[in-house]
Amino acid sequence: MKRKQFVKSMMAVGVAVTLFGTMLGCSKNSENPLQSVESGGSNETNNSVDTNKTYKIGIGQFAQHSSLDNCKEGFLQGLASAGIKEGENLIIYYDNANSDTGLTAPIIEKYIAEEVDLICAIATPMAQTAYGSTMDKDIPVIYTAITDPVEAELAKEDGGSVGNITGTSDKLPVEEQLKMIRQVLPEAKTVGILYTTSEVNSISAIEEYKEKASKYGLEIVESAINTSADVAMAAKDLAGKVDCITNLTDNTVVSALPVVLEAAKKENIPVFGSEIEQVKKGCLASVGIDYVELGKKTGEMAAKILTGETVASQLNFEIIADGEFYGNTAVAEQLGIELPKDLLDNAAEVFQTIEK
Amino acid sequence: MIATTIEQGLIYAIMALGVYITYKILDVPDLSVDGTFPLGAALTALYISKGVNPYIVLVLTFLVGAIAGVITGIIHVKLKVRDLLAGIIVMTGLYSINLRIAGRANVAFYNQDTIFTLFPLNKILPEQLVEYERVILLAIIVIILKLLLDLYLKTKSGYLLRATGSNKTLITSLGKDSGLVKIVGLGLANGFASLAGGICAQQQKFFDISMGTGTVVIGLASVIIGISVFKYITFMKHTTSVVIGSILYKACISLAIAKITIKASASDLNLITAILFLIILVITKDKKRRVRQNG
Repeated sequence: MKRKQFVKSMMAVGVAVTLFGTMLGCSKNSENPLQSVESGGSNETNNSVDTNKTYKIGIGQFAQHSSLDNCKEGFLQGLASAGIKEGENLIIYYDNANSDTGLTAPIIEKYIAEEVDLICAIATPMAQTAYGSTMDKDIPVIYTAITDPVEAELAKEDGGSVGNITGTSDKLPVEEQLKMIRQVLPEAKTVGILYTTSEVNSISAIEEYKEKASKYGLEIVESAINTSADVAMAAKDLAGKVDCITNLTDNTVVSALPVVLEAAKKENIPVFGSEIEQVKKGCLASVGIDYVELGKKTGEMAAKILTGETVASQLNFEIIADGEFYGNTAVAEQLGIELPKDLLDNAAEVFQTIEK
Repeated sequence: MIATTIEQGLIYAIMALGVYITYKILDVPDLSVDGTFPLGAALTALYISKGVNPYIVLVLTFLVGAIAGVITGIIHVKLKVRDLLAGIIVMTGLYSINLRIAGRANVAFYNQDTIFTLFPLNKILPEQLVEYERVILLAIIVIILKLLLDLYLKTKSGYLLRATGSNKTLITSLGKDSGLVKIVGLGLANGFASLAGGICAQQQKFFDISMGTGTVVIGLASVIIGISVFKYITFMKHTTSVVIGSILYKACISLAIAKITIKASASDLNLITAILFLIILVITKDKKRRVRQNG
């Protein structure tokens, strides 16, 4: 009896060992065919894409939402424009941590084990893990969708790199957004902002808003939340206190956008977005950056690093300097607001419907 | 990849040992670990940036975490708040305290010394073992902690701890205060959780306020997986099972991540992980049923 039980326990241990074995096995299996492809392209030339070389890139994305998805799309487009295309000479490993900081490390470790040529990290915690884990390895890291790379210790004050890492920042065009709000709502006095206490990006954006709002005769009313579940209550409270709401790139708030829109609708006040996707979904207008463009820029930088034209440590991080105007006339009609003609004339895109 | 899996498993094993004390020994579901794990990380970010010796930081994180656990205990025992709620109160409060300690939601300290960079074995190790240097250091820490916990459980105080969970009347008949024992147990457990959070921050070189979310789930899963898998190996201590359980848990996640290569969608990650857990638990469940039939 006892021996039987022991044997069964050993079976369970056996399964456990097999788990490890499979892990080792599958990483090896996927490596072998790639290695043979790579060995064909040993004559690497500088400043141009070596058609014989197959590049391996790991794209680690921190959370799943449309802005970050657009970044990834743009990144692939940027690489393609430099002649590095998926299915031809590029192999992509793509993982999403689903906002779980505990998952960033194993994802990055996978890329290191697969010996990728470059890691693309989307959003702050992923980039920090990537940089921390590759410090003693020879794998360049390129990041995107980080509002403040300096605050995240990924760049120096002057924009220079802190190591084998560079990328692009999705810093909001705060000043232009405020100017636009002033133009659309000449009577407005207060602007409400919802933000999550856990997001560093939001906190630095709030600071900037507060600093610059008075210049446009506006006052910022902030409301802090901790989790997605708090959004409904905070939005309702905030909507009753302010003349309009403007969004940051706060992941939690943006993910709960319908709740914010609902609360604002009850008070008949507009919500301004921080990028195009939010305007599609029912925000009145936005001066925001195009995340596909941001991703493209990142992809182009990555291509320069891959082809050996430059190294990550020599590249300053980049931002998209000018925001574009996006408006939604269907929302304007609902609120009884007219969007100024000169804004509409210069708009990057104007939507006539609200995306369901 | 395997080295990292074991590393992560060992770090979370320290926290799982804490959860083992509360969940398995004391029979108290303690949710405050979701707050004390990042508490350790926040303290680490603060002290490491100030240049405090990383090994001293370990001791500090344990002590402060233990204080937080004692507070949970006092709320539960002295203020007569239900155990689950006491944990929720402390976890919720710690969120703000952690933000205060660290100064902001995310603090990185890439270029500071950590227990890993200061590890004296660095120079002695042969080259092929360098990859495992962090595993070796972590293994040493975990083994020491495990042995200390084993020793503690054999002391008088440790016996009382075990009796409180399984036979409260015994404690009362011995003229001891089971409330005090619970407070000690919760303190110890959260000290472990905080220490794990601190080591986790030292390993990844940054603190993030959201890193505590789901800690208790990982702890519970590690304890249950470990103890069910090794249930019938009688010579194996529960503490050892918990440590291995934690490594198994992380192995499942690594395996799920490794499987998601080019074709499978990243959204499937958690589902694959869940299926792997289920497989492990079903194997052990099957055994249990047969034993019952035999009996």
